[in-house]
Amino acid sequence: MSLADALGAYLTRVWGEEVRIADMARISGGASRETYRFDAIAGERRRPLILRRDPPGSLIETDRRLEFAAIASFHGRGVAAPEPLILEEQGAELERPFFVMTRIDGGRTGGIFTRDPYGEHAAALGRDFFGTLGRIAAADPAGLPIAKVADAPAPGEAWRRELDYWAGVIDADELHPQPIVRAAIRRLRRSPPPPAARIGVVHGDYRSGNFLHDGKGKVVAVLDWEMAHLGDPLEDLAWTMDPLWSHPDSATISGMLPRAEAIAVWERASGLAAAPEALAWWALFASVKGQAIWISSAKEYIDSGWREPILCFSGWYTARRHDEIIADQLARFAL
Amino acid sequence: MRPNVGDVLQGLAVAVTSPAAQEAGADYAASRAGMLAMLAGLAVQEADRAGAAALAENAAIRALFAQALAHDASLGGRLGAAARETESDFALSALDGANARLRRLLIELHERVENAGDRDLDGRILELYAAMARGRRLQMPGG
Repeated sequence: MSLADALGAYLTRVWGEEVRIADMARISGGASRETYRFDAIAGERRRPLILRRDPPGSLIETDRRLEFAAIASFHGRGVAAPEPLILEEQGAELERPFFVMTRIDGGRTGGIFTRDPYGEHAAALGRDFFGTLGRIAAADPAGLPIAKVADAPAPGEAWRRELDYWAGVIDADELHPQPIVRAAIRRLRRSPPPPAARIGVVHGDYRSGNFLHDGKGKVVAVLDWEMAHLGDPLEDLAWTMDPLWSHPDSATISGMLPRAEAIAVWERASGLAAAPEALAWWALFASVKGQAIWISSAKEYIDSGWREPILCFSGWYTARRHDEIIADQLARFAL
Repeated sequence: MRPNVGDVLQGLAVAVTSPAAQEAGADYAASRAGMLAMLAGLAVQEADRAGAAALAENAAIRALFAQALAHDASLGGRLGAAARETESDFALSALDGANARLRRLLIELHERVENAGDRDLDGRILELYAAMARGRRLQMPGG
């Protein structure tokens, strides 16, 4: 049975009416899950939807329940999150766990390999992009769906929980000794950041390539919530501004805004201050987290029999780029 | 270093003999083909210079060890021994094996340097890290 047939059978059973699947196609992106676009046709109604299915191997182990809850936390709340519809953790007819959400059509993506990806609308898009991130940071997690599935760390422990987790990923998955990222981990432990001003929702992967825009300066979809959690909102800001997500020759963050302006937009929207020393800590942490993901990618690529080219790219080109970024930052963390 | 150029070529071979699933569609197939082409371009670079990069990095680490002999006793004399080593096998796998041993010792040394508060040597190690990262840089095809 094809994937489309299996999905049609599943939706027919769950929705209690005959559902036909049309125009199914895989989308590149969202590397921890297989992502497909499709239309579900039931009677006269045609719904544009997205399927996110667990793959046999992935960039990083993530909790689909948490991703689903994170999307549900922001849909209809001033952030362009799609509407989550179905979470199927047993896999059922599709044999692997998955969830279904609405599809936001008409959006464009911007890559990191283009010097000027947004043209004359770059500044307007930057204000919306960093404003959206600020609104995520401003949200009180209490009462949001994500609070039911994600633990909130104490404000003074948010940094440690994240650093311990990603350092553990490196310990588990490292195939070749990595002195640069290990030095960064030690520096981070020696100089912890101040406690989080408040615990908020952290998207976890808010950056170039993980959102759609309308080509006129507006964000129309925030995607890839698979690493969402509760923590220090500065973590998100630092990850978004990691040099990895900007063209190396660009003077702006992700081809949108100068750094100072991006921070100012985020501060106004979040109501939080991005103290330079705290942000520097989270910036180095962001690069460590990235390197942990790429180290996992390399292991998964080799362990799975060299099957997924994106895992090779991440574990190879991206890992080396991040080594340079980390080495550059370490110079500012002298003993 | 993994993936090495052999891993990349293995992946390209697997990819060209494993067609995408029917549901993937033309756009995904085109995107995947673009990714494979990019990997092939990067593999051309790596095949040319991986040996030279490993040799240079190994030599740079050994040179640093030679400057760090004040910490040799606490590392059981391994710094001095590693500093005196020279390459005798120039196969990529052998160079990578030597590199792994040197990097492990470098991690140990750096921890000791930090704990001793040796700012001068710490600075030189950080400079070495920057040079190591630059030496392994992959340039995007056309970039």
